[in-house]
Formats: sequence, structure tokens, C-alpha cells
Amino acid sequence: MEYLWGGIREAVILIISLDAEVFRTVLLSLRISLIATLFASIVGIPLGFLISTHAFPLKRSVITFFNTLLSLPTVVVGLFLYSLLSKKGPFGPLGLLFTPTAMVIGQFILATPIIVALTISAIQAMDPRAKMTAMTLGAGAVRTALTVLSEARFALTAAVIAGFGRVIAEVGTAMMVGGNIKGYTRIMTTAIALETAKGEFAFALSLGFILLAVAFAINILFHYFQAKRG
Amino acid sequence: MDPLFALRDITKSYDDSTVLDIPHLIIQQGGIYGIMGPNGAGKSTLLSILAFLLPPTSGTIYWEGVDVDTRDKHQLRKKVTLIIQNPYLFHTTVEKNVVYGLKVRGITKAKRAAKAQACLTMVGLSGFEKRMAYELSGGETQRVAIARALALDPQVLLLDEPTANVDRHGVEQLEGILRKLNEELQITVIVATHDINQAYRLTNEVIYLFDGKIARSPMENLFKGHIVKKDKDLFLFDTGRIQIALIPERDHVSHIAIPPQDIIVSIEPIATSARNSFVGKISQVTDEGEAVSLLVDIGERLKVRITKRSLQEMRLTLGSPVYVTFKSSSVEAF
Repeated sequence: MEYLWGGIREAVILIISLDAEVFRTVLLSLRISLIATLFASIVGIPLGFLISTHAFPLKRSVITFFNTLLSLPTVVVGLFLYSLLSKKGPFGPLGLLFTPTAMVIGQFILATPIIVALTISAIQAMDPRAKMTAMTLGAGAVRTALTVLSEARFALTAAVIAGFGRVIAEVGTAMMVGGNIKGYTRIMTTAIALETAKGEFAFALSLGFILLAVAFAINILFHYFQAKRG
Repeated sequence: MDPLFALRDITKSYDDSTVLDIPHLIIQQGGIYGIMGPNGAGKSTLLSILAFLLPPTSGTIYWEGVDVDTRDKHQLRKKVTLIIQNPYLFHTTVEKNVVYGLKVRGITKAKRAAKAQACLTMVGLSGFEKRMAYELSGGETQRVAIARALALDPQVLLLDEPTANVDRHGVEQLEGILRKLNEELQITVIVATHDINQAYRLTNEVIYLFDGKIARSPMENLFKGHIVKKDKDLFLFDTGRIQIALIPERDHVSHIAIPPQDIIVSIEPIATSARNSFVGKISQVTDEGEAVSLLVDIGERLKVRITKRSLQEMRLTLGSPVYVTFKSSSVEAF
């Protein structure tokens, strides 16, 4: 028990003293996940909107496909991306493997299906009168779409937060395509895995606390926006 | 002057079922029209067609004498505004709701604010600009929806059951507003309702819809059944309980309606040329203001409308035996 308490005490000290190494790791984590989520939103929200508002063959299958991607194993995405970005892979010459960019791409692949799937359900749950009202007031197709998206803003925010929540906490992809290079591609989750293996229990625990706090904050925000949509 | 709307042979069908079938309908500029009928009669479909939101399956609509198929629907839609049943307000302030259509049309912010204020004043909601839409009552929501439509200076305002979710006080207010819009701004108002009293109070002309077709009168004393006897000048319609004589106007008849005001009530049998006479007992008396409506049980319950004076003179009360008489030509068959 002394071992555990000692670890927790040291971890708290590291956080309170704003330890440079801890905070560099936290900031890099946030930066990579935020950028990935931003791109995933730019692609995922319009895509989800188009899927839910248009009738096309195999629409149900497409929706099922995105729902399946929600449980995409992060290690598999990492493996897939590694094979594309490694020196012998088709994108090898770009030299992206073991860079933050590779991690952003990996997290983008993980976050996009979540945002697409939740956007589809948000738009499908929308009051159909919103669209009709915009049209009766003379809005064209684009303005009507923007109005419907704006009316669904709380549910869409919840979708984006869910996407961010998935990638900030994932370890498999970041480890495989980021390489866990100290000060360059080492983020909270990969650092926790490594430091624990090394026996640097306090350092891992301090990052664990911060990650937990971020996860809590995300959940609180998610439920706040989920509740507001109603 | 050409009428505002002229509908010729309009039908609307989904798959195999025809929900609207209107051979001929004229709507004049500047009137207040009521569209009446039971649920599913096609009122909302007709409104959507008049609002150019739903194309008819067949037939032609003329707007001010011109076939609308030759005109830009988007432009026409700007002249006609439909307020749907339970109007939807965007999740924002009252003012932003009112100016939505103006913003779409690229009107400047200052002009939008002035117009919003004027329109909200018109519907008695001045000072509500910054309120959030979800804080409003049913009647206020309806009035904001009207203000939002007014902001676009429509020629025609179409309203689908505007008082469905409004309390009694709100109903009076709304009817006053619609009259004012018609008189002061010369807006043609078309209201779908299933409140017969509202239709008579508010409108100059009532269009009765039943099963997608225009009927001659409101559907009261509506009975389902079939023709059991066909003579050259008279049909006999069987409701399952009573048989009613009617003038043959069409071959296939599945429903009939008898206007309550066309039914004569007497305490003795009377000698007339009317083909339908029944004896029954009064099972209900309802005060309708100047008139009184009676339900007379003659095997079917028949609604009859008489004056209060008649009621007193004949000393009618619940359970009184009475004779009811009406002409075969009063019976509407379809």
C-alpha cells in the first residue's frame, strides 16, 4: 500500500508543481486530438448530414457501415496506417511515420465514423418542421441545410465531443504510428504505458489523473449538450 | 380581374390512393376563406398545394390568371406563406425568428429590426423581441409565426388549424389579428379549421372538404351506408338503422350528410311534400348562443338546429317525443 500512496503523493506533487515534462505531454495530447477532431468534424458533419437527408441505394448499409466503424479497434487502424506510411508502403516517401501528423491522421480515422454516425442520428431525430419552416420562409437548399444544422447544434456538439473523447483516450494508433518519441510524439496514453513499464509509477499516475479529469470533463460536456438538444 | 387562385381538375395521389380531387375552385383576392372538414379530409394537402410546396399529381393551378407551371415556384412561394399546424419556431429569440425570411432575402440589419418591431406590434407582441422562442405559450407561438410570415409582406396567408393549441382567450386574439391583417393590409387569409363556429365567425366563404372532395355543406349528420332502392327520381339510402330518401345525383353513394338547419322539428306529424319524416326522442340539448342544437334519437342520432324561441314555444325538453322532417333534396350524397 505504501508503494501506491507514495506514487499518488508524488503524482499530486508533479501536477501541482506544473512539472514541465508532464505538461508538455498533456499539451501535445490535447493538440493532436483537437486537430484530429477538427478535421473529423469538417468531414464528418457534412457527410452525416448528406447521408441522413438524401435517399440513395444501400443507404441503410452505409449507415450500418459507419455504426460498425464505431468499434474499430485502434490497434488495427494503427497497423493499417503503419503499413501505408512505413518506408516500403505507398506513402513511405512522405516520411510521415513516427510524426505527430501520422498520429493526427490515425485519430482522424477513429473520430470521423463517430461524428458521422452521431450526426446521422442527430439529423434524423430533428423535427421535420424545421426544414419545412425554413423552406416556407423562402430559404434555398443551402440556407435550409444550414438552418437544420444550426437547429441541431447541441446534438452536433455532443457528436464532436464524443469524437474527441474517443481519440484523447486511445493508445493503439498513437503508439504504432507515433512511435512514442519523447518530446515529439509522446502523448498522455503512450507515456502512461511506457512509464508504467519502466517502473516510473508516479509520473504515469500523474498523467493518469489528468487524463481522467479530461475524460470527466468530456463526459459532463457531452451530457450537457445531449440534454440541451431535447 | 383574374382570381388569385383558380384550380382546375386538381388531384393529389400517393401510390394508389387519391387524397385530393378538386375539379374547380376559385379563391378571390382579399377574402377570408375557411377550409373545413374532418381529420384526413385533405385540408393540409390543399394548403400545401396552394402554398406551392406540394405539386399536384394532375390538373392546373392559375395564379392571377397565369398557369403556375410556367412560372418560377420560388418566386411564387414568396407571395404565399403557409403557417403549419403547431408552427415551429427556431431555437433562438423571437426577433431572430421574425427576421429569418428577411435575412434569407438579404435585407439589411437595420431594416430587419424595424420590420420585426412593426410585425410584432401588429400581432400584439411588442416587447417580446429578446424572449427565447421556447418560453412562449401556444397562442404566443402562433402569433410569432404570424409575425414571421407578415415580415415577408405576403399576398396570401395560409393557416393550418391555427387555434388547435390555443386557449379560449388566445383564440379570440388570433381571430382579431387575422381580421385586422385582412382589413388593414388586404392580405387574403385562408384558414383550415375543424371548428365550424370559427369558420362562420371568421370567414366570408367556407370550403367544405370531405374525403378529398369539395362538399356542398359542412358534414353534419354524417352517415355511412349504401343505396338499397333505386327509382328514377328517388334513391333510398340505408344506414343500417334507418332508411333515408334522397335525390339521385350520382350512382355510387357511400355517405350522406343532412344539414341540421334543413330539418324541421314539430310535436305533431306535419303534412308536407318532404319525403323524410321520423319520430324520435330528444336525447341532448346544447346551447349554441342564439340557436339551440338538439340531438333527436330516431334510430340514428340526428342533430337539429332550432331557435331558442322555438324551443320555448314547443316546450321541448330532454325525452320529449318529436317529429323530424326534411326534404330528400336536403340530403347530400357522396
